[in-house]
Amino acid sequence: LLQDVQKHSVHTLVFRSLKRTHDMFVSDHAKSVSMNCIGIILVFYKSIFHSIGVALTADTTMHRNPSEGGIHSMALALPPSQSLLEGGGTRNSTLARKAPTMPKPQWHPPWKLFRVISGHLGWVRSIAVEPGNQWFVTGSADRTIKIWDLASGKLKLSLTGHISTVRGVAVSNRSPYLFSCGEDKQVKCWDLEYNKVIRHYHGHLSAVYDIDLHPTIDVLVTCSRDATARVWDIRTKANVHTLTGHTNTVATVRCQAAEPQVITGSHDSTIRLWDLIAGKTRATLTNHKKSVRTLALHPRQYTFASGSADNIKQWMFPDGNFIQNLSGHNAIINTLAVNSDGVLVSGADNGTIHLWDWRTGYNFQRIHAAVQPGSLDSESGIFACMFDNSESRLITAEADKTIKVYKEDDTATEETHPVNWKPEILKRKRF
Amino acid sequence: LARLSQDQLESEERLRAQTSYSTALVSSRREPPPYGHRKAWVPRSLEDFGDGGAFPEIHVAQFPLEMGRKKKTSNALAVQVDAEGKIKYDAIARQGQGKDKVIFSKYTDLLPKEVLNEDTPELQKPDEEAVKEVSQLQWEFIHGTQGVAFNSGAKQRVIRMVEMQKDPMEPPRFKINKKIPRGPPSPPAPVMHSPSRKMTVKEQQEWKIPPCISNWKNAKGYTIPLDKRLAADGRGLQTVHINENFAKLAEALYIADRKAREAVEMRAQVEKKMAQKEKEKKEEKLRELAQMARDRRAGIKTGGEDTEVRERDEIRHDRRKERQHDRNISRAAPDKRSKLQRDQDRDISELIALGVPNPRSASEAQYDQRLFNQSKGMDSGFAGGEDETYNVYDQPFRGSRDMASNIYRPSKNIEKDTYTDDFDTLMQNNRFVPDKEFSGADHGQRREGPVQFEEDPFGLDKFLEEAKQHGGSKRPSTSSRSKDDYHDKKRRKE
Repeated sequence: LLQDVQKHSVHTLVFRSLKRTHDMFVSDHAKSVSMNCIGIILVFYKSIFHSIGVALTADTTMHRNPSEGGIHSMALALPPSQSLLEGGGTRNSTLARKAPTMPKPQWHPPWKLFRVISGHLGWVRSIAVEPGNQWFVTGSADRTIKIWDLASGKLKLSLTGHISTVRGVAVSNRSPYLFSCGEDKQVKCWDLEYNKVIRHYHGHLSAVYDIDLHPTIDVLVTCSRDATARVWDIRTKANVHTLTGHTNTVATVRCQAAEPQVITGSHDSTIRLWDLIAGKTRATLTNHKKSVRTLALHPRQYTFASGSADNIKQWMFPDGNFIQNLSGHNAIINTLAVNSDGVLVSGADNGTIHLWDWRTGYNFQRIHAAVQPGSLDSESGIFACMFDNSESRLITAEADKTIKVYKEDDTATEETHPVNWKPEILKRKRF
Repeated sequence: LARLSQDQLESEERLRAQTSYSTALVSSRREPPPYGHRKAWVPRSLEDFGDGGAFPEIHVAQFPLEMGRKKKTSNALAVQVDAEGKIKYDAIARQGQGKDKVIFSKYTDLLPKEVLNEDTPELQKPDEEAVKEVSQLQWEFIHGTQGVAFNSGAKQRVIRMVEMQKDPMEPPRFKINKKIPRGPPSPPAPVMHSPSRKMTVKEQQEWKIPPCISNWKNAKGYTIPLDKRLAADGRGLQTVHINENFAKLAEALYIADRKAREAVEMRAQVEKKMAQKEKEKKEEKLRELAQMARDRRAGIKTGGEDTEVRERDEIRHDRRKERQHDRNISRAAPDKRSKLQRDQDRDISELIALGVPNPRSASEAQYDQRLFNQSKGMDSGFAGGEDETYNVYDQPFRGSRDMASNIYRPSKNIEKDTYTDDFDTLMQNNRFVPDKEFSGADHGQRREGPVQFEEDPFGLDKFLEEAKQHGGSKRPSTSSRSKDDYHDKKRRKE
């Protein structure tokens, strides 16, 4: 990711490099840091400043690699201190109590657009991929549900039945059913062998915004504009639980097999983790300042991310401990999707896609795909995105009525797309 | 912070205790009498208890630290202290919940954590086995099969589920028409927003909204300078765009006007020229006439023998002219009626005035036509005040009957004015057939036309026919005449 080089004075750059190196190695000998470190830092500062000051008059490119210079001179200046030497080298597992504090983000190949599928007559609002990875389903504002072949992008089937926008689709991996929910308060179960609706789940009082299936139990969870999420038994169509507690539209719901089994995000800017057995809230996360429109559960880790207009936040299960913020995508985030490789995709209402490294929160790519010819430029927005089951393709549902498929750029390497990452200088606040 | 403050408090207390021992004459701190010496002593105030609690051997109701009294209910939470001795300030946030509920209330919960390695156990998903167990339990829960109850060691218990009998005639048991308000929601979770960013002066200035000065209302009657009144008008912000078609239209009109004027001028000139030509022609004619008259006068003065012949010729000429004139008048006269017809339509008063003899048929009384169809008498006058009636004229101009009769309509009785009796009988009469014929005269031959030709002896008919066939091309006189006419007309146009 290319960013403008910030212009700082040499003094600032050198000091920052010093600080970074200090921060990088402080964890390895945390016990002995306290008093010695300050003196050491001063010594560093003087020595490096002198050494660089001499060289800089001629070499102006030095300021781009101050960290290297810093480490070099530090190593030279302090042979006697043994602990420092140890720390200055590799990360010793016996010494390190904590993991390194300044991890470098993992390199991910950039993603590029490789197919645009048009066919819908309205905004494409939701996507679901079949467990066998043969086809995927999209629900749209033109009230139809279309099934597309994943490999070729051709339309296989169009299903009609909803009388308003189809907001959520989900494909069951335990039975040949497709579930869809729409703004017409309907939740439908389609039998894919007959391509017909076989069940309706009646009970929501307003538009149903999202739907998710429980991976192990035959239970369906939907969330709606009536500030509730409802848990339905698939077979009997009974409303098992009504999860109340939110005070505004519940925009997103996710289910998982481990506790907490249901997580909802709402327009009252809270996230609730629910106890499915009791039907009660287990924890409420109020960190967001704007509506939470999307949630994404990490497929391997026991963590999840929530997206809102102010920030994307990462949390830990089972209690919802806050991990970190992923800031930089300053737009209304409509959708999040996570890869097993640790790639987090956030799609926004203005049509931009940001790709992040999950672990460090480094934004390694930004994409703004052009709209379909014939559409206005303002008609760019992403409503849903999903990785296919092989996690090699990213499918996005967009506001210009197209479905865009992205894949990783195979020709890119670490050299062609370097990781442009500078560790954050943490301003430690006293609390 | 919490720890520090507690330490502070303790140290302060210690200090106070020390000072109180050293300085005060009467120590405010009263220690209860030691054990064994309490026979006649009753603790009455809070300080009598000292550091401890109630005295079981003194049989009086005691309330050390005011504990145990029946108080009016208060919302106050008792201060709780956790295992390390720190005060639990989040007890307020945890008021209505169980102690196990996850509630985030500390500032540390808001801070981002260290980026962890992927392998750390905290980040790993729980085992599938554990998950399965939970799922199994849930399944049973949802589907209503509860756990096995105690039945003396047996692993399973066979249960038979039977539907409870419902009385078909029973009315509904519960009233469901009552509306009750919703119960209170669970206590709100503490809001963990990161502290809001500081607002710079510049940003605050950006959000300043100027006061609204209405163009219509001024409730408090403020006097506001004119530039402020018009400030929000947006006068200087818009450029007025005039469509260029206006200019085009103006130009087109100007051109059209100029062209029209030129055309009018040209036409006037042409007409002037024409008029001049006409004038000249007329002058020429007049000159000729004058010349002729002069010649004639001169001729009359000189020639004497031909005067009588000339006079007779003149008279003949005049008479012919008069006859032609009369014929013209009778043909072109607007009435196009004969004298007799005219007299027929005349009113009787007019005929009398003219002195025309009495009409032959006077069957009925004839009335003066001027008396009829008048808008006087009953029909006359004001017309009810209507001012939209057009009553300037009361009779049509000329009348329709005049128009009708203006149009030439040859009637069948056209011969009636020349031949008063039946035309047919006249045609058929044989007046000119002699009673007695001359001998040797041709008779019995029916005449076809006025002159009966006999057989052509000299072949003149044939000759004439031939002449007619070639007539079109070989008649120089007529062709030249037609050419002359054509040229004349052309000249006149120019």
